Amino acid sequence: MSSENHHLPDRIKLIWGISAVGSFIALLVLTGLIWLTYRYWDWPLWILSTFAAITIIEPIIEGSLIPYRYRFTRYQISAVAVEMQSGFIFKKRVAIPIARVQNVTLNAGPLLQWQKLTKVSIATASTNHGIEGLELDEAEALRDQIMRLAREARHDQA
Amino acid sequence: MTKPKRTHPLGLFLHIANSIKEYWFLFILVFTLYNQPIWFALCWAGIILAMIIWPATRWATLSYRVTPTAIEVNSGVFVRHHEHIPYSRIQTVQRKQWFFLAPFKLEELYIETASHDDNKPEARLAAVPTTLADTIDGYRLGATATETADSADTKETGNSADTDTAPIPATTPVTAHYRINNRTLLKFAFTSTGFIPLLLILLAIYNKIPRSWTDALIDDATHLALIALIGGAIAVVAIAWVGAFLWTYIRYFHFDVALQGDQLKTAKGLFQRNTITAPLTRIQAIRVKQNVFRQWLHIQTVQVLLASKAASKDDDDDLVILPAVPQSQLYDVAPPFVGWLPDHTPDLSDLNVADRRQWYLIRNALLIVIAPVALASFFLPHWMWAFALILVIAFFQGRFAAHQTGGGLITPRMLALQTGHMWTKETYYLPVNMIQSVRLNQSVWMKRTGLMHLIVNVRHGNKNQAIELRYLKSEQAQRVYDWYLQTV
Repeated sequence: MSSENHHLPDRIKLIWGISAVGSFIALLVLTGLIWLTYRYWDWPLWILSTFAAITIIEPIIEGSLIPYRYRFTRYQISAVAVEMQSGFIFKKRVAIPIARVQNVTLNAGPLLQWQKLTKVSIATASTNHGIEGLELDEAEALRDQIMRLAREARHDQA
Repeated sequence: MTKPKRTHPLGLFLHIANSIKEYWFLFILVFTLYNQPIWFALCWAGIILAMIIWPATRWATLSYRVTPTAIEVNSGVFVRHHEHIPYSRIQTVQRKQWFFLAPFKLEELYIETASHDDNKPEARLAAVPTTLADTIDGYRLGATATETADSADTKETGNSADTDTAPIPATTPVTAHYRINNRTLLKFAFTSTGFIPLLLILLAIYNKIPRSWTDALIDDATHLALIALIGGAIAVVAIAWVGAFLWTYIRYFHFDVALQGDQLKTAKGLFQRNTITAPLTRIQAIRVKQNVFRQWLHIQTVQVLLASKAASKDDDDDLVILPAVPQSQLYDVAPPFVGWLPDHTPDLSDLNVADRRQWYLIRNALLIVIAPVALASFFLPHWMWAFALILVIAFFQGRFAAHQTGGGLITPRMLALQTGHMWTKETYYLPVNMIQSVRLNQSVWMKRTGLMHLIVNVRHGNKNQAIELRYLKSEQAQRVYDWYLQTV
């Protein structure tokens, strides 16, 4: 497996886009309910208008940040470690040696399954780290690599 | 094979005591319901069920068996549990002996492994003979010694030893031993910060005193009001502090630590003797801790971070191995117990927060308190001076944190990090193979000034301990990160 810096797969942008639409719909439903309380229980108008504003603004921000989120999220898998990097305003970088990994969980919701992607979460004895989306075969290769290393290092410490 | 054994009938009382501790609120409920006969009776039925019948069935259904390879614990009333714990998987064995159990040669036994399923120990045996723990200890020492030997060998030594007597007598010599002297213990208890939570509780009670009482008091002696106020404050602090002193003194009474083979064994306590055995190989990290009061008295505390909850009643849930060591002797006293500790005060100047970077930590400390302080002074203007004091404390806390921040590589495979949170200096010794992950954080503004936060994760109890060094220079933090990637 190569050890240079990877972006997440391209299709993740589509997924993020759909999930922004999803949060728009969820907020819309919520605002609808608030409208009912305004209409029938005389709740103050400002609650309704705040929710309406959030419903419009939140998906726009979420959607417009997708290119940045994509650009600044990277991962790197070498023979000894997994490294992840994310964020621009608050940049975070983490190194997880494969020898410390206790288990790898792949999980994919319907959207990710449809795009043949999967979320990867890597657990050490104390922390959890996640990659938002990887190609299915790449994720499986990572998992197998970690399993192989784990078998070699059976004299565990924890 | 021996038959599973019940615990001693006295264990029943411990179970009942435990239930009372958990369901004490039912008694309060009973008092509130005394004029409603039906509910009153129902509540009593609940009490009898929760405090007598349930513990009794729990006791009756709990049994254990010690085999040469593992300890088995059967428990449960409706759902039967069969716990099977191999000796080599045991993290800690904790023995708690209340003074009233001592004449019967009984004790409570807690056994824990590293699995982090839930926060309960894998096995809890109330009132078992003290010989049981010795037997288990014997098997454990055997298990670690013969771990590399073939399994046939282990079986043989096991078969001859199905009885209760220790099969492998604990002949492993004690290689290091330390017992606290009374003077150091007094100093230790004297400087306990446990009075702060106690103080908050007392203040909360004070707030509950009916307003009319205090008003009457002030009316009677308006000219004495200030004296009464200050006197009252001093009395409250004194009560909290004496409480914390006694609490610490009783818990750490006759503290004793010994290294036997590769097992570290600590014992402490006056009314309840609490003995914890943990293998050296399972230590995740070492922490040397010193609050600001202890800094003045030059005593330090040494703790080990373990992957078990056994020490959850100790400071910060970590097993204390040396509660109070004079600062000058620390690096003579500690290394015999944990071989990889340095034998002299290490140089921690490689990572630091010096010059104008101190300001960031001071600024952050001030930022945290400024909003609450502003709000409080707005609503209680005549208390403003007291709130101003909080700002001063925050300022010095920031400075303290900056001064204490330090770290560096002690050996090519061990990192030392030092932080100064909450007026407590903490020095961590972290072997590279126990560090779970390393993280760098940097905001855009920090990129311009060339700064980074370094976060090192180790396991502690059933959770993660993130050790964070804030506002390091980028190259300092990056150096640790690269070292970590190259050495693992």
